Amino acid sequence: MEAAAVPKPRQDPVRRVLAAVWGNILWVGLLAWIVVYFIHNPTATLTDLKDGLSNGTIWALIALGYTLVYGIIELINFAHGEVFMIGSFITVALWLALGVTADSGFLAIAGAILGALVVASLGSASLNVMIERVAYRPLRNAPKLAPLITAIGMSFILQNVGSLWYDLPTSAPNLIDSQKVTFTVFDVGIKNSDIFAVAVTVPLLVALLWFVGATRYGKAMRASAQDPDAARLMGINVDRTIALTFFLGGLLAGSAGLIYALYNGTVNFRQGFTAGLIAFTAAVMGGIGNLKGAVVGGLLIGVVQAISDRHYGQQWTPAVVFAILILVMVFRPQGLFGEETREG
Amino acid sequence: MSARLQAVPRWAWLLLAVAAAVAFPYVVPQIITSLLGGSSGDDLFQASVETLAYVIMALGLNIVVGFAGLLDLGYVAFFAFGAYAMGWLGSGWFAEVDFHLLVSKASETLPGIHVNFLLILIAAAAFTGFFGAVLGAPTLRLRGDYLAIVTLAFGEIVPRVLENWTAVSNGRQGITPVDRVYFPGYGELDYPIDLYGVYFVALAMVVITLFINVRLRDSRLGRAWVATREDEVAAAAMGVNLVRVKLWAYAIGAAFGGFSGAFLGTFRNVVNVDQFEFGFSVFILCMVIIGGMGNIWGVILGAIALSMLDRFLLPQLDSISDTLGLGFSFTSINFGIFGFFLLVMMVLRPEGFLPNRRRRLELHADELDAAAAADRIAQPAPGEELYEARR
Amino acid sequence: MSPEPKPTADKHALPVPETAPGPTPAPVPGPGVERGDTLLLAENMTKQFGGLTAVNDVTFQVPAGGIVSIIGPNGAGKTTFFNMLTGLYKPTLGRVSFDGRNITGKRPDIVTKAGVARTFQNIKLFKTMTAMENVQVGMHVHLRARIAGSIFTTPFQRREERQSRERAKELLEFVGLRRPEALAAGLAYGDQRRLEIARALGAKPKLLLLDEPTAGMNPQESAELTALMETLRQEWGLSVLLIEHDMKVVMNVSDRITVLDYGEKIAEGKPEEVRTNERVIEAYLGSQA
Repeated sequence: MEAAAVPKPRQDPVRRVLAAVWGNILWVGLLAWIVVYFIHNPTATLTDLKDGLSNGTIWALIALGYTLVYGIIELINFAHGEVFMIGSFITVALWLALGVTADSGFLAIAGAILGALVVASLGSASLNVMIERVAYRPLRNAPKLAPLITAIGMSFILQNVGSLWYDLPTSAPNLIDSQKVTFTVFDVGIKNSDIFAVAVTVPLLVALLWFVGATRYGKAMRASAQDPDAARLMGINVDRTIALTFFLGGLLAGSAGLIYALYNGTVNFRQGFTAGLIAFTAAVMGGIGNLKGAVVGGLLIGVVQAISDRHYGQQWTPAVVFAILILVMVFRPQGLFGEETREG
Repeated sequence: MSARLQAVPRWAWLLLAVAAAVAFPYVVPQIITSLLGGSSGDDLFQASVETLAYVIMALGLNIVVGFAGLLDLGYVAFFAFGAYAMGWLGSGWFAEVDFHLLVSKASETLPGIHVNFLLILIAAAAFTGFFGAVLGAPTLRLRGDYLAIVTLAFGEIVPRVLENWTAVSNGRQGITPVDRVYFPGYGELDYPIDLYGVYFVALAMVVITLFINVRLRDSRLGRAWVATREDEVAAAAMGVNLVRVKLWAYAIGAAFGGFSGAFLGTFRNVVNVDQFEFGFSVFILCMVIIGGMGNIWGVILGAIALSMLDRFLLPQLDSISDTLGLGFSFTSINFGIFGFFLLVMMVLRPEGFLPNRRRRLELHADELDAAAAADRIAQPAPGEELYEARR
Repeated sequence: MSPEPKPTADKHALPVPETAPGPTPAPVPGPGVERGDTLLLAENMTKQFGGLTAVNDVTFQVPAGGIVSIIGPNGAGKTTFFNMLTGLYKPTLGRVSFDGRNITGKRPDIVTKAGVARTFQNIKLFKTMTAMENVQVGMHVHLRARIAGSIFTTPFQRREERQSRERAKELLEFVGLRRPEALAAGLAYGDQRRLEIARALGAKPKLLLLDEPTAGMNPQESAELTALMETLRQEWGLSVLLIEHDMKVVMNVSDRITVLDYGEKIAEGKPEEVRTNERVIEAYLGSQA
């Protein structure tokens, strides 16, 4: 029988167009929302954009942790927010212990910051690896319900650990004079904290992309994410690769903790819960499992928060973020850069 | 269970349990006071009333999580709906309105909406049940972890919205005072001074909840829930309308949350947002998981255990710690303790203490027949992974 | 030519092409069965997954009271075709009508309600339920109990539950299972397959779709299953559509066989015709060099 060319699916082209519009309505809507405010008040919106992008670096780093882990074991590391929080706590504890303040000399401050970067990120990294070992690995073959619940359990344990460590919000020494406006662009003041956030994040992102893209460990990660059985057959130690993934995620979260301590000024044991949800929203928005998406999502969420803070008030912003989370997960679970067929 | 225990008929156990529950407030608080001194007996009594309310909620969540297999992390929203329903319909909050229905002589003269408690219970359950279906509807196509997160998000949004919408909720200050329970012909209950009346009201509510749960479990809908939880594709192929079945689970589960929430609203005499946090959702979830997902009696035991731990035991430990001068607060680490329980339970005994036979089979692959186990873990056949028609 | 497709006012129906692919059979009447009207008619069924065309323009019908088999090498698209018929997949193109009603792309539970029940290639029993409960779920669509009735156990509901248990027991005995309280997970493989059939029968179908029902069965069990299918056709008036690899069963029981390869229908006809068809042999064994 002659194989006729299979005609293009003729099922309802109207429906396909509607589906395409519907799927993208969120981005279009968000963009339109930002543009409207920009037209309304350019300087304020530019300030919000700046704030959002620098604040968003924190969310981007945490979101990367979620996305790396989800990409490899399809699990939401619910305790990841707390890993970030512990990173902040380590930072502050270190600085308070060292006794560095805003008045310490330049070398002392630089050393303290670098030291905290190393210690906090390594600390968070190790914590993340420990969490995987204790709460997730034993449940590798259990239904997906089980590790999600242990993740929640772990999150609560860590929150309590935090509350025992610093039960009240604690100030971080203002080592870089965070609020000082160093220069101005288009009438928007760029603060030290903004510069710092970007200065720490960009090298980290570059390093991450290089690691995942160019080293054999990165290849092992990507292979394990795509097909763990095949990866094992190729001689990749998948267990160790998973641990490595958690290590990387924790590194990034710990660095985010450092940035947060200086950017926000105070740390508190509940910051992980809120940050976790915001960063997870970012990861899902960008496409869970997609690194580029996590970064874009983080920055975008930061901007949304800044604009919402200004125009709706800080008390409504969490509701706005959660609403976005729900909308994305229900109407476009694959996010911005995810694939169409699978559910996220 | 030993053969002899199994020979005792079901209803005998039930009768025993009810008798124990009825006798409890007359016997145990006195014993506790004599053992621990101070007001510990009263504290226990107070905690036991709250416990009864939590039992209802745990049974409600058990329908969603245990029967239908939908991991709901936002149950606190339903507590909030029920409590606020109580606050709106049974207090002086809407002082501009003047509406009274079957209330005590004293309340008749007060401004605001005052409806009889029993009617509010029904209204709260219906109202919350409706919202349960509304909040559940967007989640129907989501897979396990995504479903959990969306329900969590709803569980966060609802209290935030209520908190900021002060015209309706009075924000952090909340709505207070709240009407007391009133029986036409009998009079108003006098809690917190006299807890007996309100204890028995709560106990009656638990019995009703239990009755409905048992009936549903053994019904066509109950079977449909188990089938949906086990294998959606097969369930649909057998004629189960997945959408309807899941929405019913959400609605009924939520209704119990509102049912109990309304009670707590009047028992605590205040409805404010501080009561509605994610931790509460996890608290109730803990009860279901630790007690034994899907097993009604396990869930009740889990609820009693965790609630008494949180409401009585930890505060008692606190006062002991105070008198000893240790300065360590046990109540402040309650969530760490629950988190630890969750962790240990899921790793060691995920089916809970009193497991549902089904859950145990689901969670322990090695107990299944080898062929069955291989079937369950095997890759789906080509053309079977996606229940695609519903995308 | 194939029986004329019923004209329909349904605006979602796609036009039938002028030429139907391949030779078309007349259903062979079995002993004691009248030649039936077309019970199931699937026209131009096509399924594309992204770039892959799993089923390509297959037209197919099952007569009332007929036993029809679909065979073909692995990966030919047989289960995908089944999945389109039962609503698990939305066809990319094509139309399915059953008993006069258009069921194209309708939800699986609606298809079941219309009278089509199925079993699965990888047994999909509710493993933690008993055999009886599995069959009762199969009966879900025909039980009338509503929520209020379930909670307050009206006499109607109690009677219905009792009757459903009795009927479930009957169905289990019919397929040869004697222990209704046995957990599905604990049953032997052959018994599990039988339970799946009993469960499907619970839905009171007019058409039973069986996806490789004799996989893993020994010759005796396969013969029993063949006898079962004949009984279903003769005594119950059911139609059966079968995906099978066991050629003995297929040749014995089928009125007509359709052969798929790479998603296309390459042959159709009586068992003897198909067995000697060159294209079929080629598909299974590969072409002669």
